[in-house]
Amino acid sequence: MESIIETKSLTKKYGDLTAVNAVTLNVRKGSLFGLLGPNGSGKTTMIKMLTGQILPSSGNAHVLGLDVAIDPVGVRTLVGIIPEQESPPSFLTVMEYLEFVGDIRKIPDLEQKVDWWFDFLEYGDKRNVLCKDLSRGTRQKLMLTQAFIHNPELALIDEPLINFDPIMQDKVKAFFVSYTKQGNTLFISTHLLETAEEICSEVAILHVGNLLYTGTMESVKAGNRHLSDLFLSLVRT
Amino acid sequence: MAGLFFNMLKEEWRIHSTMFGSLNFALFPVMICAIAFMGTFLLPLIQTTMPVGDLVILIHAQYLMLGFMVGAFGLLGHEVMNRRFGQASLLAFSARILPLNPRHIFTIFVLKDTVYYFFLWIFPVGAGFLVGSLFTGIPVFYPLNILLTLSLSFLTGMSVVFFLSSLYGRSGKALFVFLIFAGLVFLGWFTFTGTNPATLFPPLILFYQFSWDILLESCMVVLVPCCIALLLFSPDIQPGTKNYPNRMKPLIHHLNRLPNPPLAAKDMIDLWRSGSIVGQTIFSFLVPLIIIWFFLSLLDEYVSPIHLLLTFAMITGIIASTMYTWLCMFDSFSVYALLPLHVRDVITSKITSFTLLQVIPIFFIAMITFLSGQGEFLLPVLVLTLSVSYYVLAVSIWLTGLSPSVLVYNVRVMVQYFLFIGFALSIFGSLTSMNPWFGLVGVMLLVPAYWLVRLGMRKWDREEVVGY
Repeated sequence: MESIIETKSLTKKYGDLTAVNAVTLNVRKGSLFGLLGPNGSGKTTMIKMLTGQILPSSGNAHVLGLDVAIDPVGVRTLVGIIPEQESPPSFLTVMEYLEFVGDIRKIPDLEQKVDWWFDFLEYGDKRNVLCKDLSRGTRQKLMLTQAFIHNPELALIDEPLINFDPIMQDKVKAFFVSYTKQGNTLFISTHLLETAEEICSEVAILHVGNLLYTGTMESVKAGNRHLSDLFLSLVRT
Repeated sequence: MAGLFFNMLKEEWRIHSTMFGSLNFALFPVMICAIAFMGTFLLPLIQTTMPVGDLVILIHAQYLMLGFMVGAFGLLGHEVMNRRFGQASLLAFSARILPLNPRHIFTIFVLKDTVYYFFLWIFPVGAGFLVGSLFTGIPVFYPLNILLTLSLSFLTGMSVVFFLSSLYGRSGKALFVFLIFAGLVFLGWFTFTGTNPATLFPPLILFYQFSWDILLESCMVVLVPCCIALLLFSPDIQPGTKNYPNRMKPLIHHLNRLPNPPLAAKDMIDLWRSGSIVGQTIFSFLVPLIIIWFFLSLLDEYVSPIHLLLTFAMITGIIASTMYTWLCMFDSFSVYALLPLHVRDVITSKITSFTLLQVIPIFFIAMITFLSGQGEFLLPVLVLTLSVSYYVLAVSIWLTGLSPSVLVYNVRVMVQYFLFIGFALSIFGSLTSMNPWFGLVGVMLLVPAYWLVRLGMRKWDREEVVGY
């Protein structure tokens, strides 16, 4: 199957600290890929490299066929991104921010798409509220909207559900599954193992920058094993 | 209290040192000290072309202006500080999660900034002058005295703007009433006595004639506005949800002939809704320049009125260039890094927004030109102001990218900044002293400005997005 993300010995060093160490990874088209790892394992750094926000120290990464180090803006044109710390600009209202994103991404029929997201995520009443005055959950809804509003074939999301209540989590999880069933690809990083086990088709486990495991969810669950058992056995050794 | 104070000092240090290394930050005051040290040896030379009294006025005016430009703490009530470093959570905002009184934290925050500015800008000048005096035979009293009076000049500027910005934080109307009242008092003083109010500036009087009474008076001029400002301070309490009309679409429509309309529209909305367009214009532009004008007027026996005006035009250009900092303080590139944008796109949009803001210095310098009765020189004055403003903007973009307020404290950046600006200003200062119409030649500064912007865009496009 076609690879949407391909990394070879991808490494990121900050001085003496190696945040990501020679990670080689393939993410197939249509998969819901979960990058798992404890805090500080290098998940966020990995997403930042894959979206061209930071440059790799060595190795390379191709996203949708583009080299992220050579054409980071090309990559960001094609993908949707939600960072770990959601950060819509403080003094824009929700609607203004989405118009700002829409104008930069040249999205046609923006208002219709925005209305669909307002209905789906139930936050249309906040459209004229400043981003700085939003609750964390509503900010996360806004970031989710800006990441998917241009209908990207790949979205990279850092901790996608962490600010949502259980009802919204269910709704968003269902959206993720249906999104990938349409042939799109989702790359999520999380440390919520139950969520990953529930929705991911493939997983990789990262620990102190090293890739410890990569495989399908079926292979993880072989022999009635849970993802958490595999995760803990790898991370604790 | 001491614990919080020292932790805030540490935090401020790390904000800068993580951006460009501890050594480059630590060397900043060393550089100021070295400049003052070398300046001491130049004093005999300077005396032959400029009276020492005028030099003293200029140095004090510069420190007063520096105080004005950094003292708008009153705007912190509107969370300016929180936004300055994007998502960084600063200790100044710990009141939200720790059992600490916001005013208590804020007082320590102001104290911390004062200490930083003292050791970065003021003490090094006194120290450099003191060391230089050992070699030049200048009595030790003078460097100690100038250290005292420059500190007081800086603190006066800071405390006055702190008071004004706190008043503005409480009520814009109260500020305008106060400014009109103060303006009338100054005008009345000038009309009835015929003397420049700047001659009443206590640190300047203290420099020429040290006395404990004047020292006490100088301290009161610092402490009284500062204490009132602290009393006026109100922490920004999260307001109830307020709805705002959509300004993005109409602004994009109005700006559609300019590069990157949505980015420029965002800048305009940020400036307007944060209150910065009014606050910064008053505290970081109008107040410092008006006071500087009074001080420069004291030099009119040495400099002709038109040369004074052209010098003032160059100073206005430099201050106007700091509007770039106003535009960069709301976000970092990380806000844009989710979108298909290069750093150069954001820089281009900041230049667009900067250009829109230049209407303020144009209007201001035109008014000063007419009020000083030299309307016939309006064209060279305007050209010089705008050329200097864009040139210094270009130097800032090249050296600091989208982080001008932080990277300026990198000693390497500051040395280059001084050299590039000093070189250009010396040339144009000399040219305009020959003939005021040579101010028109200032337009030539746009050539290196264009080149520096291009260079800066290439440089910052290659840099990684920094965490703030």
